[in-house]
Amino acid sequence: MSLFFQSLVLGVLLGGLYALLAAGLTLYFGVMRVVMIAHSAFLILAAYLAWFFTTETGLDPLLSLVVTVPLFFVTGVLMQRLLISRLRPATLTMMSVLLTFSIALVIEGMLGFVFSGTQRRIRLPYSGESIELFGANIAVVKLIAFGLAAVSLGALFLILKMTQFGQALRATIQHPDAARLIGINTDRIAGYGFGLGLATAAIGGTALALDSTIYPSLHWHWIGPLMAIIVVGGLGSIPGAAIAAMLLGLGQSLLQIPLGTTWAQTIFYVALFATLMVRPQGFFGGRLAQRF
Amino acid sequence: MKVTTHHRLGVLALASALTLTGCMSSGSSDEGEEGEGPITIGISLPLTGDFSEPGKGVQRGYEAWADYVNDNGGLLGRDVELTILDDQSNADRVASDYEKLINQDGVDLVFGPFSTRLVVPAAQVAKDYGFLFVEPAGAAEEVFTQGFDNLFYAAPAVADDHYNYLADAIEALPEAERPKTAAYAAMDDPFAMGTAYGLKTRLEEMGVETVVDEVYPPNTTDFGSIAAKIADSKADVVVGGTQYQDAVNMIVSLRQLDYQPKMAAFSTAPTNPEFPEAIGDETEGILSPTGYTPEADYPTNAEFVEYYTEREGTPPAEDEANAWTTGQVVAAAVEAVGCADPDPECQQQLIDWLRDNEVDTVVGPLTWDAEGRPEGAHLIQQYVDGEIRIVLPEDAAEADLILEKPEW
Repeated sequence: MSLFFQSLVLGVLLGGLYALLAAGLTLYFGVMRVVMIAHSAFLILAAYLAWFFTTETGLDPLLSLVVTVPLFFVTGVLMQRLLISRLRPATLTMMSVLLTFSIALVIEGMLGFVFSGTQRRIRLPYSGESIELFGANIAVVKLIAFGLAAVSLGALFLILKMTQFGQALRATIQHPDAARLIGINTDRIAGYGFGLGLATAAIGGTALALDSTIYPSLHWHWIGPLMAIIVVGGLGSIPGAAIAAMLLGLGQSLLQIPLGTTWAQTIFYVALFATLMVRPQGFFGGRLAQRF
Repeated sequence: MKVTTHHRLGVLALASALTLTGCMSSGSSDEGEEGEGPITIGISLPLTGDFSEPGKGVQRGYEAWADYVNDNGGLLGRDVELTILDDQSNADRVASDYEKLINQDGVDLVFGPFSTRLVVPAAQVAKDYGFLFVEPAGAAEEVFTQGFDNLFYAAPAVADDHYNYLADAIEALPEAERPKTAAYAAMDDPFAMGTAYGLKTRLEEMGVETVVDEVYPPNTTDFGSIAAKIADSKADVVVGGTQYQDAVNMIVSLRQLDYQPKMAAFSTAPTNPEFPEAIGDETEGILSPTGYTPEADYPTNAEFVEYYTEREGTPPAEDEANAWTTGQVVAAAVEAVGCADPDPECQQQLIDWLRDNEVDTVVGPLTWDAEGRPEGAHLIQQYVDGEIRIVLPEDAAEADLILEKPEW
């Protein structure tokens, strides 16, 4: 029983992290129909920057967010304006896979060149600390990562629902032509939307760096599960991605008890196949995906 | 449009032809003058791709060995010259590399690549040409069950025997003091699983109950659930069949769940200099088998460490040492037999000599069984007072074995 409860707690924490890491990915697709293979490479880049920041200054890695979040936002806007907007609209989704795949390779290569292939981990005084709750241990670093996820997803939700920019962004997602007709500069909005997605990668990467060992090619292990999450959640839907991430994280954690690690990992792909067969537009939200 | 494509293809073909001839001429410059020119040694290594880090370590070891031999009068009075190709960590590529080295470049000897996955296809090519094949890395059982009669693994022990000294030490304890339960978690990798299951077999024979037995894929990023199972079992001993990042992540996850084993052993990771950087002060008492340490007082080791340190600025690690050992093993056979050429008769003499003789190396004296398994065991190291020290076997120990691991 205590193992079940412990796994439940771990699953919720893991699901929260998945939700944060997947949020940007679904946003790019929603705004731009872009499949962003390089999203997880940017996560690892942010994780490396957090590690580098901490080893150089000795300060807490969370402080690196002050630099990386604006940096990633600007990088995202530039990437969208200078590269992705040049792809032909008719083949945008396909070609964006190729383009962002190459960006992922460039990032991986640069990380290896600058920081070498040595596997790194941020050494935190509180990395092994935990809080006990009804017999289950909650690791402090995992709790911080979960908190970061909750705060950033909440902020993203508020930006999209409450601000004028958010309304313009949602209009762009729902119907770009109509959005242009009422005077929204959809090109600029798309650039900001992309920047916003990449800013979540900065936060996600830092959260990831708190509790994992990082190396340049690590991003290939992440992109598969994250893609599965956003398809199950309905492409373009942030609440959908968050719900799917939570369910899959919990499922993975609980299935590990009877099935072991290898089979528990397949839950992502089983869920992906099931979604494509039963409800290709995704289980949550995802009105948008019907058009594809 | 067609013309330009043809044009481009032509230029491409010309360019690649030039590169190829460039490569080949450097490889076989002194062919023909039998016994006069340098002894050429062909090697393919994973210099890029998955195994590039250890691959480069092996390359440094090989190059240091070649320079050392040449500084000290060469082999049979001839210089040695290495031709190193990059197989990009690719098993198809490694086979064609050795094919090329033996066939086109006409090398006199070959040395092995890094890691089981690449050693097996490479050894097959060497066997087809009757070449002696000494390899620095490829400790998993499947290397020795393919019927290679030309293969020798230049390290103290195969994966399954890495923990033998630790198992002996536990067996020597009075029954009441032995651990009762053990948890095993191993990466789904022939080498990593071999180390953990080698110890598992021995402990089960002693009556230590296995309470957790987990195998995880190499791409596992989250160790929370595995740690939860181990912590829930409250096993006395935890054994990790690990590489690097998995061991570090698992240890941190175990600590987060406040699991305190009496003994904790992990392969590979703890001997990595990055390990204490990542774990911090909580390394105390962690055990690990190691095939090499610069402190070991085998006859040629001090000279190796000094030469290597002067050359590279840092002391050699296990990959470099195993490469150097490969050089020593082949050199011993060549000196004893008195030949070094691709002729099958000479190669067979080298193979036969190694089958029957002991070779003194930087990792200790080595002998092999009929399949090429070395017949030793690994030293056992442990973090004692914050430093990784040899604790077993007793005659090589630098510090006393800590039987009751402090809390981490």
